[in-house]
Amino acid sequence: MPQLNPEFFVSQLFWLAVFFTFLFVFLWRVSLPRIATVLEKRQNKIDENLSSAKELQEQAMEIEKKINDQINKAKLETDEKIKETINALQEDVSSQISSLDKDLEKKVSDAEKEILKSKDDQMKNINNEIVNITKLTVGKITDIELSDNELNKVIETQKGSFN
Amino acid sequence: MAAKDSPLKQFEIDPISNIELGGYNISFTNSSFAMLITVLVITLFLTLTVNTRTIIPSRMQLISELMYNFIAQLLSDTVGDNGKRYFPFVFSLFMFVLIGNMVGMVPYQFTFTSHIIVTFALAAVVFIGVTILGFVNHGIKFFTFFYIPGVPFYMHPLLIPIEVISYLSRPISLSVRLFANMLAGHTLLKVFAGFVVSMPFFTGVFPLAFIVALTGLEILIAFLQAYVFAILTCLYINDAYHLH
Repeated sequence: MPQLNPEFFVSQLFWLAVFFTFLFVFLWRVSLPRIATVLEKRQNKIDENLSSAKELQEQAMEIEKKINDQINKAKLETDEKIKETINALQEDVSSQISSLDKDLEKKVSDAEKEILKSKDDQMKNINNEIVNITKLTVGKITDIELSDNELNKVIETQKGSFN
Repeated sequence: MAAKDSPLKQFEIDPISNIELGGYNISFTNSSFAMLITVLVITLFLTLTVNTRTIIPSRMQLISELMYNFIAQLLSDTVGDNGKRYFPFVFSLFMFVLIGNMVGMVPYQFTFTSHIIVTFALAAVVFIGVTILGFVNHGIKFFTFFYIPGVPFYMHPLLIPIEVISYLSRPISLSVRLFANMLAGHTLLKVFAGFVVSMPFFTGVFPLAFIVALTGLEILIAFLQAYVFAILTCLYINDAYHLH
């Protein structure tokens, strides 16, 4: 078995020591730190991205909260404005209605007064007409001239029985 | 010296250039050449693939990172936080054995892990290092490692020698495991390769098919033995920190 031939033992050990030491030192000092740097860099990047994502999420939530607050505020404001407008309109309408009512009442009462006045006037005219017609008729039939006062007295007494 | 057609001929060492230093023969051999190739493959691969150091890795960079994470995970699982400082050593050991085994799978290439002197030297480095580490961490108390608590007192005269022997046989079991696996695998491949040539007519395809299947198995074993070598090293380091 060539493995048990001690002829090359020293050579084997020597070159093993040379190459393995070189490999160990090279990996220890050059290769492994490089790989470690890459892995660390990647981990840092991942952590960074995660933290910035978290931050952005928090910001987004804050903004959402703000938007909701403003929406609520705006809703309350509009509700109040609507109420105010409704109240103002109602007041306006009722005041206008009341002023119209007053106007109408005044007009009605004016009209009543006028009607009464014209009724009185008409009555006076009727009296005069009656006096004139009676005077004429009596004059034609009897040649008696009646004074206005006498006729008026008679008419006044007769009027009571008409009414 | 093995015969010309012996399946063990592949393990023979041929000097490429004869060198002598202080009376010792340190010739650069085919075994040394395989080690050189192994070291070149590892260093070039791990350097060139990570050269760009991009955050989003290329496929090759990903392989380097996977190997890094594989051994880092292994070490942190078995040893914990103490293990970090031994990472370069365990990683070098794993890569050296793994790529050494793989280089041996290339036809006509020499497998230096099939030489007991090489595997024993690696195991001895681990054993001596771990023993020194144990004494540095625990001082003279490290000897209590051989004392198993919770056992009836009359068992100790039996158990302590067993523990001592099992501790001392660690470098042997560690080195022989790797050496024997490589030796057996490559010998078996060579034996069946001989069948391919010597069998009559087309019947040689059957051992050839067997060789193909066996090559797949050998690649698996090459990885597995490197893994076993690394994980046992981790466990021994852990023992140097945590006594029973």
